[in-house]
Amino acid sequence: MLTSEIIWQTILSGVLMGCIYALVAVGLCLIWGLMEIVNFAHGEMLMLAMFTAFWAFSLYHIDPILSLPLCMILLFIIGVATYFIIIKKIIKAPFLAQILATFGLGIFLRYLAQFMFSPDFRTIKNPILSGNINLGGLFVGVPQLAASLICIATFIILYSFINKTEMGIALLATSEDREAASLMGINSDKMFALGWGIGAACLGVAGALMSNFYYIFPEVGFNFALIAYVAVALGGFGSIPGSFVAGIIIGLVEFLSGLFIAPAFKYSFVFLIYLLVVFIRPQGLWGRY
Amino acid sequence: MGGNKHKWIWLVIGAVLCLIFPLFLTLPFPRHLMIMIFLYASLGLAWNMIGGYAGQISLGHAIFFGAGAYTSTLMLMKLGVSPWVGMLVGGILSVGIAFIIGYPCFKLAGHYFAIATIAIGEIAQQWMLNWDWAGSAVGLTLPILPESLINLEFHTTKAPYYYVAFGILILAILATYGVDRSKLGYYFKAIKGDLEGARSLGINVTKYKFYALALSAFFTSICGSFYAQYVLFIDPDSVFPLMLSIIVCLVATLGGVGTVWGPVIGAFILIPISEFTRIQFGGGGKGTDLIIYGFLIMVISIYQPFGVIGITKRFKKKESP
Amino acid sequence: MPLLEVQGLSKHFGGLVANDHVDLRVDKGEIIGLIGPNGAGKTTLFNCIAGFYAPTAGNVQFKGEDITGLPANEICLRGIARTFQIVRIFKDMSVLDNVMVGAFSRTNSAARAKQKALEVLDFCGLAAKKSLLAGGLTIADKKRLEFTKALATDPALLMLDEAIAGLNQTETAEAVELVKKVRESGITVLLVEHVMEVVMPISSRVVVLEYGKKIAEDTPEKVIHNEEVIKAYLGDKYHASRRAH
Repeated sequence: MLTSEIIWQTILSGVLMGCIYALVAVGLCLIWGLMEIVNFAHGEMLMLAMFTAFWAFSLYHIDPILSLPLCMILLFIIGVATYFIIIKKIIKAPFLAQILATFGLGIFLRYLAQFMFSPDFRTIKNPILSGNINLGGLFVGVPQLAASLICIATFIILYSFINKTEMGIALLATSEDREAASLMGINSDKMFALGWGIGAACLGVAGALMSNFYYIFPEVGFNFALIAYVAVALGGFGSIPGSFVAGIIIGLVEFLSGLFIAPAFKYSFVFLIYLLVVFIRPQGLWGRY
Repeated sequence: MGGNKHKWIWLVIGAVLCLIFPLFLTLPFPRHLMIMIFLYASLGLAWNMIGGYAGQISLGHAIFFGAGAYTSTLMLMKLGVSPWVGMLVGGILSVGIAFIIGYPCFKLAGHYFAIATIAIGEIAQQWMLNWDWAGSAVGLTLPILPESLINLEFHTTKAPYYYVAFGILILAILATYGVDRSKLGYYFKAIKGDLEGARSLGINVTKYKFYALALSAFFTSICGSFYAQYVLFIDPDSVFPLMLSIIVCLVATLGGVGTVWGPVIGAFILIPISEFTRIQFGGGGKGTDLIIYGFLIMVISIYQPFGVIGITKRFKKKESP
Repeated sequence: MPLLEVQGLSKHFGGLVANDHVDLRVDKGEIIGLIGPNGAGKTTLFNCIAGFYAPTAGNVQFKGEDITGLPANEICLRGIARTFQIVRIFKDMSVLDNVMVGAFSRTNSAARAKQKALEVLDFCGLAAKKSLLAGGLTIADKKRLEFTKALATDPALLMLDEAIAGLNQTETAEAVELVKKVRESGITVLLVEHVMEVVMPISSRVVVLEYGKKIAEDTPEKVIHNEEVIKAYLGDKYHASRRAH
């Protein structure tokens, strides 16, 4: 029975999950906006973050809250390493090469994880953040609520960094016009590496937060990555706040279509949004181009 | 002219070897291996039309493979129609699908197009998983029919499958060759090279992108129908998955995109690796060959995006001063 | 009847007026020079005529037919070929193949396209380099290839967008000879150029744009002495600082 309570519950769940999608999307958008290269390994990097939190918990009993900084730093390093080892070499390469390079990385990481960790679904049992609380008649999972709040906080910090600090503005400048920025003494190489690092670090945060309540398995990243692509397209190429809001919208659409239509088709609806956006309004809702 | 004669000799030797292969190797595994190589080479050649020549990177080609497999199978099961007819109908249907998804998608550039193809491929797989009339997640088991060419089913030996697969490959090679030398090929390459430049020379870009996709879809679909008749069981996970789209793309890329022989070479290298790692690592093999794939994709795209053929061209350049 | 007639053509990009009610007439057999300071709207005008932009207002008539707003490939098939300021050659194809792409606009036969391409390559002096990869050519040869490709489409009107900029003295002289040769073969030429030594000697008429408007149209000798034109190029201090954006 579709009571209004169930509908509100679904909306709330959608928004909360959407905040996580939002942060994942922001990471992707940063890289995409910076150098027009799509990180097709985005989902797998998220998966690595989740597994890092999982193993920290299983092997060393470090709660995900505490391993969050660890995940963030580790993913930052992975992002920077990816830039220097792979991306830098394909900046001028033909298109096919750019798409396939990160795609290959994604596949490599996914199946390596499957080989090393097995395809089994893991969970973290009883982390510090667990249980439900009652928000005005609606039940909300503590980990989900905390995750969305921290994602929002991370976004705000990131946004201020980009718009208010010198390094952040340098990053923005490089993404607008690489050559003009370098004429002003901004080292675009460092900026790109920084962009990849921060983009991946967002995944570190999101992954650690999700490990509290989501299943952890090698293929987990794929759907998140696809949702992130849709969010970036919907929000508008190059618009970081756009991607964030779009992520939340998509969370809503996913959960609501799961409720009203059929759970099996909820991702189909999300992809349908992508197709609609790129056909009808390619610059997205807030895009620059 | 001497160089051309050389090529012809090698081609003839290669063709003859392929033709007599099953007479010498009667064990099922080598035949299966060759059939898979032929199949993936054909798929690679098909992808090559749109991805290699026209430069539009599709990562959702499985939709055509699945469409072919399901069309011929359903027509066989529900209408009793010979799989050859089903194959043709599937091919035409796939061209229709190419039209419907192509025209809107061709407005998209590069990354957006690739993501759109992934999205469409995923949607297709989702739908098939939930379409009961077509078997949904359970899949379709083809009826066992008396073995004959008309039924395209053979039970005692793989040899006829081998020759059919070989025939499909020859067709794909001829089609690619034909495209390569003709206006189509030149226009595809121009579209890949510089879109606005191509337009300024009178090319209706959307129309030609569609031709490339249509050709590609048709051949991919035929391969799908063949696969169904060979394996006698299909389900959305075996004929619509993203992995298939990726392997097809990889086969063409490894060998050399935009060339006639690239995808063939790619298949001859990649498929044995896949089959052998599957055997070596036993049950967990499903993941292991993909680790190698992933690594290979990275290496090729970074160091030699023109594939094996690109490497041989470089050698030739070094030889002649 | 003029070969090309542009009437009241305007092109707006949001609030920016790139072309403002421009009239232009090109008769068969002429070489028309289109000049003006940077940002005057020359390339925009080209793009509007050639179908890369749709004009906001006004119309374009070619051989008496209205071609306003037709897509770029259609306009090429009607007989207007154009080159780009930043060359759009197919760098992974050979020089011959590049030109064949142009030739295919008039035929479906690969043999005939090849024959036409060889003729045009010969005409433009690139025949010796036909097997080279386009991406490996020198800048001068790339510009020549850009020119040759366009010529292979058998145009009645050839529009050149700064095809001669950036060449050295010898190359510039060769390019000018080539343009003259093209006109002699019956093709009308409309060219945008910054290099005055090129435009003035060969043009029958010169059109000057500034801030999207046509400010002068006359024979080269008269245009050089036109006060508006001199002010547009040299400017006084006020003009120079106003133009910065």
